[in-house]
Amino acid sequence: MTFERDARTALADGQLRGALRHATTLFGERRRAALATVPDWEGARDRARAIKDETLAHLDRYLEEFTANAERAGARVHWARDATEACDIIGEIAEQRGARTVVKSKSMASEEIHLNAALARRGIEPVETDLGEYIVQLAGETPSHIVVPAIHKTKAQIGALFADKLGIAPSDDVATLTAAARAALRRRFAEADLGISGVNFAVAETGTILILENEGNARLTTSLPRTHVALMGIEKVIPRFADLDVFLQLLPRSGTGQVLTAYQSLLTGTKRTPEDEGPEELHIVVLDNGRSRMLASAVTRQSLACIRCGACLNACPVYRQIGGHAYGSVYPGPIGAVLSPQLFGLARSAALPYASSLCGACRDVCPVKIDIPALLLHLRAQVVAHRVGEPRVLERLAFWIYAAVMVRPRLFEWVMHAVRRLRIMPPLGAWTKWRDLRPLAPQSFREQWRAGLRDEGDVDA
Amino acid sequence: MRSGDVRREILHAIRENLAQGLESSPSDRLSAPASSPPVPLSLPERGDVVKHFTEQLTAVGAQYTVVRGETQAAAALARILTAAGARRVVGSDAPVVQRLLQAVGNDLVINRLERLSRDELFACDAGVTTAQWGIADTGTLVLESAREQSRLLSLVPPIHVAVLSTRCICDSLSDALGRVSVASHAITFVTGPSRTSDIELTLVVGVHGPQTVHVLLMEEA
Repeated sequence: MTFERDARTALADGQLRGALRHATTLFGERRRAALATVPDWEGARDRARAIKDETLAHLDRYLEEFTANAERAGARVHWARDATEACDIIGEIAEQRGARTVVKSKSMASEEIHLNAALARRGIEPVETDLGEYIVQLAGETPSHIVVPAIHKTKAQIGALFADKLGIAPSDDVATLTAAARAALRRRFAEADLGISGVNFAVAETGTILILENEGNARLTTSLPRTHVALMGIEKVIPRFADLDVFLQLLPRSGTGQVLTAYQSLLTGTKRTPEDEGPEELHIVVLDNGRSRMLASAVTRQSLACIRCGACLNACPVYRQIGGHAYGSVYPGPIGAVLSPQLFGLARSAALPYASSLCGACRDVCPVKIDIPALLLHLRAQVVAHRVGEPRVLERLAFWIYAAVMVRPRLFEWVMHAVRRLRIMPPLGAWTKWRDLRPLAPQSFREQWRAGLRDEGDVDA
Repeated sequence: MRSGDVRREILHAIRENLAQGLESSPSDRLSAPASSPPVPLSLPERGDVVKHFTEQLTAVGAQYTVVRGETQAAAALARILTAAGARRVVGSDAPVVQRLLQAVGNDLVINRLERLSRDELFACDAGVTTAQWGIADTGTLVLESAREQSRLLSLVPPIHVAVLSTRCICDSLSDALGRVSVASHAITFVTGPSRTSDIELTLVVGVHGPQTVHVLLMEEA
């Protein structure tokens, strides 16, 4: 089982766990401080969720409205059923424009479809420009946190990496390292033919896409190259321009504990006159990749309300110990444990719905009130129903016997009597490895009742 | 498969799945209370808006200078640029920016944006633009592409000086969202300097965008 193996590896990594504890605690504190500045946080969460529910209930209509308005403003909207189609669309756009270098700002969807590998196969070099993503790309690794992709690396490790890859003098000064990345990436921005970004929100009413960030790399990515390609899942659409207000209150506060991130770019089509600044072409790629399936039940549908803030990662006692890599998916943490099986198939992610104690901390912090524990239980039921993963003959047998005994009071009494008399305990294996099983009382409640408990006190009075 | 067919197919899949969801689960529908009107973040007195805005500018790491009229503004701009050690300065096409830079004088190499190559733009020390709106609650500047060519000048040089009339400060984000127009193909909200905490969560200011954001707040003369 990869998840269990990778989780064990992570647990043995003291440095990783220290970094995770620091990051998740800090983000948790900042989040709490930031949401105290909103007079009605619960109301904002309810409004945001209501907007998402309304959108998802009529997703076809809002997507069509968004497409019509974006195209009227000069954008071109493409549709992709799966990762291959999306990669082909973007690869062809890049090839037709003779692009050699492509600058990218952070996009979870692009990681979901493994766009970088697809572009590299066409001989196009994708350059991640978000500092954390850039570090992870230089190291040939994958992000470990939605908001802080290189949280698993120390400044000394990054210093050594930059010395090796960028040829700078070794340093563990964070400002020096950041300046080195800025200088190296400026050259890439200058030569890039194409910019690829994600989308945080797509407004149906106006055809606007909104991108949030702190560094300015998304602004450069969407301003400098002649062609801008924006990749969005079908769930990114919201109905009205004014709806941005509540989501901009929720997302930065939940993600980084900021009142607002440094930049929001609201892009509506392409430049209107030749003298205008900005790209000549805007291509918006709308990706399904398993999302439309989630609409089929109210439980799974709420997965599509996620605005990718990462608050549930920071709150999750499991994620706080093992970090993102152990999940073996682009989407880690509680939301990853529900998204991954639905997006990539139960077979590949059967262990993830179990990577939770169902404590509910994720549901409590979620800015759009996704009931993640309910989703985890739903997916666990599916894992069992479809018998995915290792065959667990003994477990099934044990539960079959348990069920048979529990519905027959006389049998139950007889079995418990025998268990007490013979002092045997069922072999619970892994379960008892981490927990103490409480010893059985010498007399059961029913036996005590019959032996006179009934006559004590004035139960019948 | 043609693009239009894929689009039809995805929309069809969405409708089919939505229809299934309706049949299976009106009862396990998750509670989503009805929408209520947004509560403003705060309601400072109109006269306090400038104070509120400047406090928030400080909180997000931006600087500001309050001036009255263009003569004062030009003098302040010269001081800001000199203090920052800016040698190559570029102004946007906003008339007030052009007038201010002309008044600043010849000590600084002042370029016009339209004459700049990309390399020259990358070599600039400071960009001077206006901002169309300010947001008091968040210390945010709002730049609209239909009003001015400020998209690159507010982003590429390490210093960004933004001229903002005190009459254009909105109370809140929702207020600002109601005022901007998507006739601008790019609307940019700027809250403080560019920042990152990607290495060991240590804050570094000025990563891809400006390190310094200075707001020149102009009261009417």
